[in-house]
Amino acid sequence: MFSSRTIAVMKRELREKLLSKTFIIMTLLIPVFMFGILGIQTFVMSYEGDQNTNLTVIAESARITKKLQDEFSKRKFVQNGYYKITYATMDRDEFSGYLQSHRKDLLNETLTGIVYVPKNALTNKEVEYYSKNPNNNVVFKKIESIIDHALVDIYFQNKFLSNDDIKFLSKHVDFNSYRISLEKAIEKEGYGNLVVSFLLTFLLYFSLIFLGTMMMRSVVAEKTNRIVEVLLSSVNSKELMTGKIIGTGITGLVQMAIWMLPVVVVISTNWFALPKDFTLSIQLGYVFYFLLNFFIGLITFLGLFAMVGAIFDNEQDAQSGLWPVMLLVMIPFFIAISLPTNPASPIGKIASFIPFASLLVMPARMSIVEVPAMEVVLAFLINLATMILSFSLAGKIYRVGILRTGKKPKWAEIVQWIRYKY
Amino acid sequence: MHALEVKNLTKTFDGLTAVDNVSFNVPEGSIFGLIGRNGAGKTTTIRMMMNIYLPDSGEVILRGTKIGQEFKNKVGYLPEERGLYKKMKVLETLLYFAELKGKKGKEIQKKAEEYLERFELGDRKQSKIEDLSKGNQQKVQFITTILHDPEFVILDEPFSGLDPINTNLLQEIVLEKKQEGKVIILSTHLMDFAERMCDHIAMIDHGKIILDGELNEIKARYGQRNVSLTYEGNISFLNNNPMIEKIENFGNTTGIRVKSADQTQELLKLIVEHGVRVKKFDANDISLYQIFLELAGSEHNGKMGRQHV
Repeated sequence: MFSSRTIAVMKRELREKLLSKTFIIMTLLIPVFMFGILGIQTFVMSYEGDQNTNLTVIAESARITKKLQDEFSKRKFVQNGYYKITYATMDRDEFSGYLQSHRKDLLNETLTGIVYVPKNALTNKEVEYYSKNPNNNVVFKKIESIIDHALVDIYFQNKFLSNDDIKFLSKHVDFNSYRISLEKAIEKEGYGNLVVSFLLTFLLYFSLIFLGTMMMRSVVAEKTNRIVEVLLSSVNSKELMTGKIIGTGITGLVQMAIWMLPVVVVISTNWFALPKDFTLSIQLGYVFYFLLNFFIGLITFLGLFAMVGAIFDNEQDAQSGLWPVMLLVMIPFFIAISLPTNPASPIGKIASFIPFASLLVMPARMSIVEVPAMEVVLAFLINLATMILSFSLAGKIYRVGILRTGKKPKWAEIVQWIRYKY
Repeated sequence: MHALEVKNLTKTFDGLTAVDNVSFNVPEGSIFGLIGRNGAGKTTTIRMMMNIYLPDSGEVILRGTKIGQEFKNKVGYLPEERGLYKKMKVLETLLYFAELKGKKGKEIQKKAEEYLERFELGDRKQSKIEDLSKGNQQKVQFITTILHDPEFVILDEPFSGLDPINTNLLQEIVLEKKQEGKVIILSTHLMDFAERMCDHIAMIDHGKIILDGELNEIKARYGQRNVSLTYEGNISFLNNNPMIEKIENFGNTTGIRVKSADQTQELLKLIVEHGVRVKKFDANDISLYQIFLELAGSEHNGKMGRQHV
């Protein structure tokens, strides 16, 4: 299987793929694209477009006005001038007149909105908001809790409650998540691992499909270009397939390693100030495991894609004959990306030991929950066995398929090819 | 001494016997022709000789030992279905195929460049294959077949799709290789090419060898009653002559078969007497095509037993 010829074939694949423009562009673009999406999302989330908000806060009683003014002026968005707030005290009639006279300002948006806090807000907590866009969640989110806080404060002020009681009353429940694991002390858990789990699953899936399709195309091309018979006069089909797959496998591994570099840098240095909630509790060992698992998966699936390429003699037929292999990648992919919603689900656990599925599900599971070392080893052995078996099966079909042209073979015929003596 | 012995090869595809108990010997230093119609089993036989297909039964012996990878390294093979990597450069292509045969380094590169010069491709060595004309792609393909200096050159339907210049070039190479003492195996359905170039032939029909041996002997045996005639004038008077068995028109030449071997002189006399201008009168000559027709007949009849000369 390995000979100087295998190495020659492998070197050609490497030259063609590793040094191709497509490969270099893809390798650089994918992380840019992914970080770009994350960045855009973060930007859109943080940019609320309320930098020039002009509010007028009017209360029916001077006491409420005073309290609101105190509370608002403590806030950063008021201190840094994003929100310009004017305060006033008016009764209902005065307010009606005021509203009439400022209608124009509201319509041309020099005034974003007017908040009116009537006296009975102290019993029913109902507050009025007048604006051209009265359902502005960004504004509501910012002022809601402040007004609430002020009202609660005033309400309880004469009810002989301590400041601590009031503070407790006005606080919402806040979840802090902690990760329980065998080896480490209890750690505060951030959403970092969920993001990484999703990211890695996506990369794995994308890479397998992308490189697999590339492999399939290249086999079909060798068939349609009639090169394959020239090649077979020098090498045997097993050497040819092995050389092609190892060449593409190394290409994929290099690519994945480049993609993993940012992760390695983030977890092994403190050059990047990540958000506090974005804690990453994966280790370098995991990265190595991930790459190894990826390489095994790549060899396994490249064999299957090459097999499909060998069965058909044009790309359209090959694409439509690809579905059984695609299912083997896609079902595990969906299991893996649904893992974060319920990491302990039995489906995830079982799938991480099923041949083919394990390749995608196990790394995702490992990044979210603590998986016992024994299970990791078991999954690894299962994957290794799957690789060897599927590779030799694919090799048998490849051997027959690459010299077949013309009529599209039926599935039953293909099964018979396995037993052919060639 | 036989360079290659093909022994009882049989290959069946989906219940159809493509090659049926085929045996023949390829002598050292010869040009050997495997001749037959399209679909007769030539390519399958060659693929088994190349160890691309494993035979259902039978074997191929190379100078006393069964063929394997060692044979592949010694062979230059030009398959009927030819192809190159379109995106690869010319010199890169040549070096890659040589490397697959276990030859690499400065020397092979020098040789590749020499061949490119000889085939007037010296200035195209850094061009991509897809940028070459079809004729030039064929030239590159020939070079890949012979660059590693193979002891055996196997050419499957080498002339199909070639322009006349490349056909001559290929013939030149084949004869040159023969002079170097290499063994050339040529599979073709073009009988006149085979006739011009081969020393030995094996004729295959419906997967079976129907005739094999040295070409001269075969022709001598089949040619005794045959006359190949080139003339100007009208020979229709021969049509009802009792000593004529068959007249066949092959374009430039006409093949005439008399009923017994001693009638050829009488035939010449008769033609001259009728005022026909004889340009060439070759008794004891028969074309391979005639022999083939005699043995294999038309597509559906005539599967004859094996003839060995």
